[in-house]
Amino acid sequence: MARYGMLINTRKCVGCDACRIACQMKNHLEPTESFITYHELETGEFPNVYAEVVPTQCMHCEDAPCAAVCPTHATYVTDSGVVLVDEEKCIGCKYCMAACPYQARIVKESTGVVEKCRFCWDNGAPGNPPACVGTCISGARVFGDLDDPKSEISQAIAKYHALPLADNLTATKIFYVR
Amino acid sequence: MFEDVSRRTFLKGSAATAALAAAGSLSLGAWRAQAAETTARGVTKQAPSLCNGCSSKCGLVATTVDGTLWTLKGSDTHPYAKGHICGRGHGLAQMAYSDERLTQPLRRKDDGSFEPIDWDTAFREIGEKTQAIIAANGPEALGIIQDPRPSGKYYAKRFMHALGSANVYAHSSSCNLSKESAYTQTIGASNYSTDFPNAKMVMFIGRSYGDGIRPSSVKSLAEAAEAGTRIVMVDPRLNSSGIFATDWVPINPGTDLAFLLALCNVLIEEDLYDHEFVEQNTVGFEEFAAEIKDYTPEWAHTITDVPAERIQELARAMAKAAPAASIEAGWRAVIGCSYKNSFDTARAATAVNTLLGSWGAKGGALLTSSPKAGKLIDARFDDPPKPEKPRVGNKEYPLALDSAGTNLAALQAALDGRMKGLFFYNSNAAKGYAQPKTWTEALDKCDLVVTIDVQMSETALQSDYVLPEVTYLERLELPEWIGGKKHFVGMRTVAIDKVHPETKTCDEIFNGLAKACGVGEYFQFTAEDLATAQLETVGVDIEDMKQQGVVELPDPAFTYGTPKFKTPSGKFEFKSDAVGAAGLNPVIGWVERKVTPKPGEFAIVGGKQSIHSHTMTQNIEALNAISREYHMERVWLSAKDAQSLGVETGDVVEISSSEHTGQVEARVTQRLKPGVVFLPTHYGGDSPYQTRAYRYGVALTDFIPFDVEPGVGSMMSQEVAVTVKKVEA
Amino acid sequence: MVWGPMIAWYLFLAGASAGAFLTAAFVEAKYPDSVKMRVAGRIIAPVFVGIGLLMLMLDAEAGLHNPLRFFWLISNPGSVMTLGVYFICIYMPVTLAVAVLELLKKRVPKWLTWIGIVFAFAVAAYTGFLLGVVKAYPLWNNAILPILFVVSALSAGLAATSLVGLVTDRERFERMWLIKKSHVILSAIEMVVLFTMLVIVSAGSFEGAASVHSLIAGQFAPAFWGGIVLLGLVVPFLIEGYPVFIARRVETSTTSLVVSLIGEAGVLVGGFLLRLLVILAALPVLFL
Repeated sequence: MARYGMLINTRKCVGCDACRIACQMKNHLEPTESFITYHELETGEFPNVYAEVVPTQCMHCEDAPCAAVCPTHATYVTDSGVVLVDEEKCIGCKYCMAACPYQARIVKESTGVVEKCRFCWDNGAPGNPPACVGTCISGARVFGDLDDPKSEISQAIAKYHALPLADNLTATKIFYVR
Repeated sequence: MFEDVSRRTFLKGSAATAALAAAGSLSLGAWRAQAAETTARGVTKQAPSLCNGCSSKCGLVATTVDGTLWTLKGSDTHPYAKGHICGRGHGLAQMAYSDERLTQPLRRKDDGSFEPIDWDTAFREIGEKTQAIIAANGPEALGIIQDPRPSGKYYAKRFMHALGSANVYAHSSSCNLSKESAYTQTIGASNYSTDFPNAKMVMFIGRSYGDGIRPSSVKSLAEAAEAGTRIVMVDPRLNSSGIFATDWVPINPGTDLAFLLALCNVLIEEDLYDHEFVEQNTVGFEEFAAEIKDYTPEWAHTITDVPAERIQELARAMAKAAPAASIEAGWRAVIGCSYKNSFDTARAATAVNTLLGSWGAKGGALLTSSPKAGKLIDARFDDPPKPEKPRVGNKEYPLALDSAGTNLAALQAALDGRMKGLFFYNSNAAKGYAQPKTWTEALDKCDLVVTIDVQMSETALQSDYVLPEVTYLERLELPEWIGGKKHFVGMRTVAIDKVHPETKTCDEIFNGLAKACGVGEYFQFTAEDLATAQLETVGVDIEDMKQQGVVELPDPAFTYGTPKFKTPSGKFEFKSDAVGAAGLNPVIGWVERKVTPKPGEFAIVGGKQSIHSHTMTQNIEALNAISREYHMERVWLSAKDAQSLGVETGDVVEISSSEHTGQVEARVTQRLKPGVVFLPTHYGGDSPYQTRAYRYGVALTDFIPFDVEPGVGSMMSQEVAVTVKKVEA
Repeated sequence: MVWGPMIAWYLFLAGASAGAFLTAAFVEAKYPDSVKMRVAGRIIAPVFVGIGLLMLMLDAEAGLHNPLRFFWLISNPGSVMTLGVYFICIYMPVTLAVAVLELLKKRVPKWLTWIGIVFAFAVAAYTGFLLGVVKAYPLWNNAILPILFVVSALSAGLAATSLVGLVTDRERFERMWLIKKSHVILSAIEMVVLFTMLVIVSAGSFEGAASVHSLIAGQFAPAFWGGIVLLGLVVPFLIEGYPVFIARRVETSTTSLVVSLIGEAGVLVGGFLLRLLVILAALPVLFL
């Protein structure tokens, strides 16, 4: 069984928002709804400044706090490690939003269902690749099977020594190159 | 002669918003809902097109469900896309379903508001007025301004030439005119490319791939940075490409020329330049070497605020990496149209590459070729006779790139009454180019102003007639020829169902206008007819093109090695007779910027943001939402200046120049050179028909005095000093 | 912020309901003659929790549009919210049954009252644990919040019941010293617990400190000091405390009635604001 994850290389990300809009279109989100949030960080003082953009979205935690608190089991983790939302079960109580350490969930205006990145999951499989990865102009995003040592993502993680955010607080499956 | 409502009054007279949206049309919300509903069970199709988000016109494939747009993907074949599309590309496509599109022809009433009219009436009235202008003032009193697009640039020119006018202008005077004109003088081509995969060192002068995006360029840069290429960014602001930079050289705005001349000075004085290349492939070197003798790094330091040692180190490092080192070609900004010295800044950039011997070298600066359609046999496509009189502006601005011209000459001619009728295609000149007040004054004096667009831009708002075009995904256009190491041809096809019944395609509109103006004989074909014929000349079947969107043409067999410079001398020209004839220094040398900020004043620089394209995209819901969520309209202030002004991020500041005063929130940053403010150039809309863009932020063009770069005709888009103060809440 | 006033109302009303039920049980045991107070408490209990649940459902928009989905609420026993649903599923029928028996003037069996008491505590504590287990928010994620919510729930339930007592059966009410003493002591305990929590949260993390700062000195300071501390704790403490511990006499004047009414209402306002501000002022842990 595959275990899906993503790598985001902030050393290649120019913060162009292509992933946000491609994701919106793919997932029929409103213009103000986004599964991706951009954190623009600036360190140092002029003229020795380092600026980076860190895009965040659902981290597909192994140890998903959102799924743990979801009273209806609408949020669940698939065998392949992707955290999904069953729209037919969600009551919109927003407990998952509160529990998510990454503020990665939004209430979809049209349905009241709390949604988030699903790796473009459709028909029992993730997007090939997910919309954000497919559109990324600089190759900052890599998607694939973390359990396959030969996969592009496994090799990229090894090459860049990519790490989850927040000291792997919740065993996340999005790895960052900072 | 004609009734002319004061455009100025209308602009002041706030939100007289007529209900423009046609009943029964598909709104954005309805589009999303419909798309969501039908994705599961609808018929999914794919069709190719070329993006309209910027000049790159990247190839893309639109996936539709029952004829409405669902997703976009970059074309795998197109050399600029290479499978990827940027944010503004995704956003712009949604324009098709905007609730604030133009949906039917409009005629301006006496009170400044607009009334819908039918196409026949629009064509007839415009035709009559055009013919009346020709009768009274001659065809040279007519002009067209367009932001070049595959069909638009062809039809605009053909239409004007058919009428007998040579007055066809691109947007370039507010974009890359100085650069393209300068390169034409020095290297005989309007552009060149950087051989990133093999480069050891690349220097950017004010350009940011991460803000004015071409996906494949960003990828090349990212890969070069990863491979250890030394990337130097010379920019007062650490722009969004800074993530790739090994060196950020913050410089006083408009002084890049001094920096570049000092690089040349070091290369020559320290004898680091490529003697062989210079001796064999250049003219005017002796004069140039004499000219820059005094332009030492120490001299440049006083002007640029870049330490002399740093200039020396960079020059030496470039020399060491040569010929796999070069200055990147730049686009707009300091090298394109911003200062009185932009033309020479661009010339100096090519001079550095020449001294490094990097032209045609592996890892250097490359001149590549472009394909074009072959000769057409069908007489319907024959060109109309060449207009008798030369284009207005050719005499005053002889250096302006011939294929672009300077639209500021048309503006000047309208101001002094020589230009009576102006057409605009895909162009928001009156807000996005030079000083809007000046445009308003000029359009006020015109007898006829016609704008063809998809939305009610500020230019449309000041037009007598507004003709609604379909959005780019709804139309087939002429083939676009793409040069480089490999050659390609791309084409727009009808990718989505037409959204508003009363909108027309570019060719339908120009054919209609031509017929109404009495020159229909030159327009006896559709864009598809012409496209078919053009593609046949290169052996491509249009039906294949409709499927593939982008097709690779026979390999031009690019090879490294000294290229052929298409200059009068056939060599790189440090000294150009044409430049001398235009009244400028024939030798590349120092020119000061026109306005230098005094103590207490700030230099103001503008720039693109990754999701926007000038004023065109601001009203698009998905893109405007990002701007608002992340406060992207804010003016950037350096932390040091902000501290002395007592300003924090989110505070409102007032910016004043000789032309304009405006208020906007501030973003305090370490990423900017003190003494400089940065204003993104997408905001401050004046069209009440564009409710999301209307009065959101401030516009850089409002602050800039109307002036023209000598000889070239660029707008000098940053020649102003401003004051900044905090607005107490 | 994830949640807003609706959830604050829910947390407050569920807590106050539990407090009212416990008050009624206490009155039944210690003051068998105070029928009106007991009845009041027993009616307030199901009504408050009912309204609270309505608020919860109104806030849960996806469920509101598809009410059948609420049945899924019992499916994850690992979730505090599901536990809460279990508690309420027992608590609410019990309080309803008690109220109905009371209205029918029938005797409420002791065992039923005891079940109610147990689940009243469970419900009151659950409203605290609901927030308390959320690790992302330091203002919530501490051991004291559930205690604070339980104390505040008792106080609010007592106040709601006392308001009815004051108006309908004042003479008897004024002699219920145990009730009055409990009220004063609860106010004092709540104050101590509240400030202990703020100190601990503030010392625990940067975000916790920022949350506390927004309460005591930032945007929520007026509501915190004026609403929760002054109106909800200090004023009732003084109003109740003076006659009970200082004057030691039964008040009969109209002035004292008005003052007492203000005191009880203050407890209710403070109790609601406590939930609201705890929800609004909580800042998530920064993860970058």
